[in-house]
Amino acid sequence: MLTSAFYFIAFVTVFFAVMVIAAKNPVHSVLYLVLTFFGISANYIFILDAPFVGIVNIIVYAGAIMVLFLFVIMLMNLNAEAEHRKSNAFLIVGAFAGGSLLLIVVDAIRKVDWKSVSGQESSGGAIGSIKVLGKVLYTDYILPFEVASVLFLVAIVGAVILARKEKLPLTVGQISHPVSES
Amino acid sequence: MNLLISLTALGVVAMFGGILKFRSMVMPLSVLGLIGASLLGVYAWNTNQSFLNDMMRMDNYAIAFSIVCMAGTLLTILFFHFFHSENEIHYAEAVALMLFAVAGCAVMVSFTNLLMLFLGIEILSLSLYVLAGLRKKDLLSNESSLKYFLMGAFSTGFLLFGIALLYGATGSFATTQIAYQLGIAGMNGMAAMGLLLLMIGLLFKVAAVPFQFWTPDVYQGAPTIVTAFMATVGKVAAFAAFLRLFQLCFAPSKEGYQLVIGTVAAITMLAGNIMAIYQSSTKRMLAYSSIAHAGYMLIAVMTLNASSNGSILFYSVAYTLASISSFLIVMVVQQNRNNDTADDFNGLGKTNPWIAFALAVSMLSLSGIPATAGFFGKFYVFSSAVSDGFIWVVAVAVISSFISIYYYFRPVIAAYSKQTHDPVMTMPAGTQALLILLSLLTILLGILPGFIAGII
Amino acid sequence: MPNIFQTVPLIHFVYLSALLFCIGVVGVLIRRNAIIIFMSIELMLNSVNLLLVAFSAYRQDPPGQIFVFFIMAVAAAEVAVGLAIIIMIYRNIRTVDINELSRLKG
Repeated sequence: MLTSAFYFIAFVTVFFAVMVIAAKNPVHSVLYLVLTFFGISANYIFILDAPFVGIVNIIVYAGAIMVLFLFVIMLMNLNAEAEHRKSNAFLIVGAFAGGSLLLIVVDAIRKVDWKSVSGQESSGGAIGSIKVLGKVLYTDYILPFEVASVLFLVAIVGAVILARKEKLPLTVGQISHPVSES
Repeated sequence: MNLLISLTALGVVAMFGGILKFRSMVMPLSVLGLIGASLLGVYAWNTNQSFLNDMMRMDNYAIAFSIVCMAGTLLTILFFHFFHSENEIHYAEAVALMLFAVAGCAVMVSFTNLLMLFLGIEILSLSLYVLAGLRKKDLLSNESSLKYFLMGAFSTGFLLFGIALLYGATGSFATTQIAYQLGIAGMNGMAAMGLLLLMIGLLFKVAAVPFQFWTPDVYQGAPTIVTAFMATVGKVAAFAAFLRLFQLCFAPSKEGYQLVIGTVAAITMLAGNIMAIYQSSTKRMLAYSSIAHAGYMLIAVMTLNASSNGSILFYSVAYTLASISSFLIVMVVQQNRNNDTADDFNGLGKTNPWIAFALAVSMLSLSGIPATAGFFGKFYVFSSAVSDGFIWVVAVAVISSFISIYYYFRPVIAAYSKQTHDPVMTMPAGTQALLILLSLLTILLGILPGFIAGII
Repeated sequence: MPNIFQTVPLIHFVYLSALLFCIGVVGVLIRRNAIIIFMSIELMLNSVNLLLVAFSAYRQDPPGQIFVFFIMAVAAAEVAVGLAIIIMIYRNIRTVDINELSRLKG
């Protein structure tokens, strides 16, 4: 039962992922990507027994990040005609590169002895619960947690710099421009 | 650890400098703070302490590279202050981003857990994406920022996939555990694939062939001071992290991938140097030259023996000194003559003898002529490769160094042997003194290399 | 614990996430719209998340899932900066086609 559920979810996820890069309209791409994320979250929740990651995935990716994408696309009023397609040669080269990468990865992991990887010791289950994850995050991984705050500071400062409007003429490769804040 | 905390705090102070209007204090505070943080690093020398469940370890390697990155940042901030008035929009924010970036460098060079490596790289890269786009109304700067961002995020994907496969193969993100597990089980297919993808991600970050195509555009389009920052601090930190990762995790199985890195290094050196010849813009030429230097530094990553750490440290110092001053001279020339081809350097020896001197010293050092720091940088890297039997790589490296002399000397020859009617170049106060100081340091290290090379 | 770990072999998760990763890579290579390229990169990051959670679940080892949180955090920060860059460019040239951005040449 779970096995067929896995294959169903996997098929749906891959289908939507292909549609993300195949769809002409950027808005459709965003919606397909949201569906892909739902498929991945379904894997987390129903099959991999990691409900917390699954729910956070939906909240953060599907809920926050993709909505941001959608806002930006609607702000720019992009539609299908906005993008000139690349020539077929590009498509073939791109698909070939991706396909060969896939083959290399699959070939490398095919021969691995999976006995050594999976199911080492069972710690009583439920490692995906909030309790276990919270404990690990706030004890062993407290330093990365703090360092991540620096990352957010950078993102905040950066977004403020880039999003603030400047009233200057457009240039191409200016040597210097002394901009004063009046 | 204190070093990291003080760097972050410094960034926060600089950030508030812009909001709370104490901008005139931002530069002095940052300079003092960077010096103080370096002193904290010196104070922690030889303590070899690891922090919080072994997430990072402040060993001498980490401290030395942190100090190199901080020195590079200090110079960049000083030059940034010289060339941009503090009333300029985003002045304090840009300084804050540089300080955050160097905090990211400190994380990158001291990690003992792949999670910390990832976070450090991201902090550095995010700051650089924004800094590259600092001139928001300049289309070249915009383009540089977007290209850098898309390529950087793409390479992060590879890096992460590699980390995930490595986690699957070894069951841990801690470098000690990974090395231990690989020691027991050996490299299986998944671990090897993880190593390969990690390597691709890092080669993107250090701009080695065939993942170098973004470099010239990004370096040329970004504001020149930011380019100097990317090409020195960013590259040194990326190399220090690259070498540290391989020393900590993959040193025992180095026979398996030495050939790959060696080939990449050889192609990178040749391609970087040959492409540099054809550039008319000196700034773009320096971008290709930085690709070539990534090739030389990769040789030290390839040999991966006891002397690698010391030689790459010395190389980083020499490269940072020479690169920052050459980018700055290009900037001075750009501002005075509105272009940066070799012809724009004409007569510099007459009009501005000290700037011409600094130009000559930095170009000589970049090409590796004796009595400059660059010579010993290359000497240490090459000799350890020869002693490990990689004569073919060193042969390619020497040939490409000879090629590089051709284009490094072009602006120098123009400066000394050609005439000009242009007026004396003007530049902000302090620039010339700092450039002379950098040249003297380069010469000093070329005469007395011992006191950096043997330090770690 | 369900018996899923005996029924679905771990390698199928690895195949699935490798497939998603490669779809993302192809998307980056063949599309020209900067936003779609960016979305393909998000797809790559998500395939990595899937791989990490799968390893973590099969090994009964929480750090894999912790790493996923950090990837999500970084992705969110990256999206903030990336979309700000894209909007900055759109304000200037009214397009996000990367081929329009080819002023930098040797």
